Amino acid sequence: MEQLVFDFFKLCSLNPVEIRKGVWQVQADDGLMKELDGWRSQGRLLQFTFDQRLAEIYGADLICPGSYRLNSILQVIRKQGRLSQAHIPHHYFHEPSIQKKILGGLGAQRAYVVNSSQQYAQYMEIEILTEVRGLHKKESLHTVVVNLFSGKVLKFPFPTHLLRAGGVPQGLVGRRGCSFKQAFANAAAHLHQTLAQGEQKWAEEAHSKLVLEESKLREFFVGNTGSDEFKAKQQELHRRLHPVMRMDALRGALLFTPLFRYRLVVVDADGSERTKNLSYDPIGNLQELD
Amino acid sequence: MLQIFPDLVRRSDPSEPTELLQETAFDNYKGEVLSGGFKRIVGDLRSKHFDTWSWYTLAKRADALLIGQQETTDLLAVEYLKERWKQVGVVAYPHQLDTARRVIFEMQGQAILADEVGLGKTIEAGLIVKEYLLRGLAKKILILTPASLLWQWYHELYEKFAITAGIQRTEWDWNHSDILIASLDTAKREPHASVIRKLPYDLLIIDEAHKLKNSSTIGYRFVNSIQKKYCLMLTATPIQNDLKELYNLIALIQPGQLGSYRSFKDRFMKAKRTPKNPRELKGLLDQVMIRNRRDEETIQFTDRIVHPIVVSLSPKEQSIYTRVTQFVKESSKRQGLENILPLITLQREVCSSFLATALTLEKMMANMDSEDLAVAASLLKDLADVKQNSKCDALEELVAGLSDKIIIFTEYKASQEYIRYRLEKAGYSTLAFDGTLSRGKKQWVRHMFQQEAQILVSTESGGEGLNFQFCNQVVNFDLPWNPMRLEQRIGRVHRLGQTRDVHIFNLLTKDTIEEHIMYLLHEKINMFETIIGELDTILLHLNLGRSFESAIMDIFLAHEEKGEIREQLDRFGERFIQGQSEVKTTTWDIL
Repeated sequence: MEQLVFDFFKLCSLNPVEIRKGVWQVQADDGLMKELDGWRSQGRLLQFTFDQRLAEIYGADLICPGSYRLNSILQVIRKQGRLSQAHIPHHYFHEPSIQKKILGGLGAQRAYVVNSSQQYAQYMEIEILTEVRGLHKKESLHTVVVNLFSGKVLKFPFPTHLLRAGGVPQGLVGRRGCSFKQAFANAAAHLHQTLAQGEQKWAEEAHSKLVLEESKLREFFVGNTGSDEFKAKQQELHRRLHPVMRMDALRGALLFTPLFRYRLVVVDADGSERTKNLSYDPIGNLQELD
Repeated sequence: MLQIFPDLVRRSDPSEPTELLQETAFDNYKGEVLSGGFKRIVGDLRSKHFDTWSWYTLAKRADALLIGQQETTDLLAVEYLKERWKQVGVVAYPHQLDTARRVIFEMQGQAILADEVGLGKTIEAGLIVKEYLLRGLAKKILILTPASLLWQWYHELYEKFAITAGIQRTEWDWNHSDILIASLDTAKREPHASVIRKLPYDLLIIDEAHKLKNSSTIGYRFVNSIQKKYCLMLTATPIQNDLKELYNLIALIQPGQLGSYRSFKDRFMKAKRTPKNPRELKGLLDQVMIRNRRDEETIQFTDRIVHPIVVSLSPKEQSIYTRVTQFVKESSKRQGLENILPLITLQREVCSSFLATALTLEKMMANMDSEDLAVAASLLKDLADVKQNSKCDALEELVAGLSDKIIIFTEYKASQEYIRYRLEKAGYSTLAFDGTLSRGKKQWVRHMFQQEAQILVSTESGGEGLNFQFCNQVVNFDLPWNPMRLEQRIGRVHRLGQTRDVHIFNLLTKDTIEEHIMYLLHEKINMFETIIGELDTILLHLNLGRSFESAIMDIFLAHEEKGEIREQLDRFGERFIQGQSEVKTTTWDIL
């Protein structure tokens, strides 16, 4: 949490100064204060601390889980970064080894590389907020990465530590075989499937409560269950208690990963030669032979 | 999007409605995929607006932190409001926090908050509203209150919970305000009612919900027809006369909780006010109703210390008092009980100030017959001749000995003016507070009293939510005959947030009716030192058939001797105490 706050000020090009042990001060301008505290706020020296005792002594804004100042900072941060892009440079991979691996993978066929090029494959990282509403509401965050060529969801963690900020030249980007909408739908379907296999107590509890309440409602409206009032009350009950799992995307990023393309000459057993194009995506471990 | 400084982008909250992209039915639940978030991302993609990777990763960390915080099963609002409460001096009591927790985590937002008076039901409701807002479970909220409480709700929500609600003024407001405070009487009328019925509310709050005790009223049927997900009903008196009232209230929030009315009557009603199977009934009520009582587990109120100050009237004052009393008795005998009200007022005023008595007498003279008129004219002349006011002398003496802030209560405007005149003349700074002041002026007077003046002279005991906890000295210049009014007076200062013992100074004139009233209220009912919960219910239960004041007046009119009056007042007091215990032991033991 502390690091997050300092990173926030750093990204705002501000440098908090520790004026007393545990109490920081930063000159926040009008723009930042309006974002933090509303349009009526003006630029001021913002003093903050992570220690409740110090907050009381020095009157500094307390930053702790649930505090107003932390929440205001989190709200500002969360409005940022809805869409971004990053890439993994090619040089992180040893191209000769990849070439060797590809040629070795062709089995009995003999092949040699006529020429090679380096492009980028496209992935989309989507951060999805999942909200389960049963008797209570519980939210969780899930990051799903979809290959925009195949539309498939990456089943293993994406190596985010290799990512570097920024996009890549448009001309180097490989073609996309899946729309963004489809990618999101695939991500949501994958997530639903995964979560449906998990713990379901929240839904079971809400479902049994709903059944119980509905039976009480029927008892109350005995002999009158065809009435509009009964239907309205039943609808109200379902709206309140019917278990729902809801998903919405919070933010997304285009991730460009190395795509090694080769023009190969494959020599068959009878000595005939064929030219083939092969591309290899080391992140998805996907090899595509034309 | 407006770039306000490097890399920080200002974005307004999404205004377009979030649509359902995909719906899947699973065994136990429904799966929904919303399109709103992704549409915004695609919008950015199309416009090629990419935020920096640093902001993106920071935002992801912020998401995780915030979601992690919300996973707590405790109230988010408490942490969120901590600093605000420190600024405005709000202390949330454990019973209020427990109530909010129970409503949210156990009752799924359907509850009757039936705390006894003064335990902070509004704070509990505000806390629940804030919690639902913070958790994103409620957006459209409607608060229906009596018209007199609209602004009180507005201020409470704003000051204590940082919630800016709208106050309904026009038909337009229903559709366009997410959080709206409205008068129940307005809302239930057309064209408003039809508009409201069409809107699905996330949370509906009904203040003073006992007004919906009768299921055949328009108000009841209207509230029943509002589409709501969560519903809170606030009342200190869920039962006033009949257990059916409680049944009706519960049917509003959880129809079927107590079965059909026939089965409820069979299972739980011995008599109108007497429950059958109280334990079982209490178990069912506990699922939908929370009732905190004033006891050690809820709040430790500071003490009330009573100081009776007996004032002896001068012979001239005493003679006028006797003559006015005689006039009242004779007039009442002649006129009967129909026109008793002005006579009661006259009898009460003569113990307050002769100025007030003279003004009332003058008004009454317009409708008097010739016999009364002659007596009244002579009385009026004598009243004007009296230059001394022994009670005000005693008040001046009392005030001289008190250093802190003082609220002086009187029932009459004329007495209020006279008291202020005397105190100002003696060099004290005073302020007047009465029911004719607008809400804004009342706030201003309260502020001035807190900051500047030492003395507030008030004719208003109700005060509509204006509380004076910063003051702990109350002077009753005259005594209201009705215990409700007395409790309201003391309640202005002796309530949640009062940290000091409250001193109550009662000025009572010797050998007058006030002595007897004091005997009844203080010695018999013990009104001053203890808080009698549900006074209105007890008074209703007494079934006097007329006002409390009239019942007392009857005793005075019917008896001459001091001993006889005492005896009658003793009986009356015992009846009150019996009524109090009956109320507790019949219906209240199930609450």
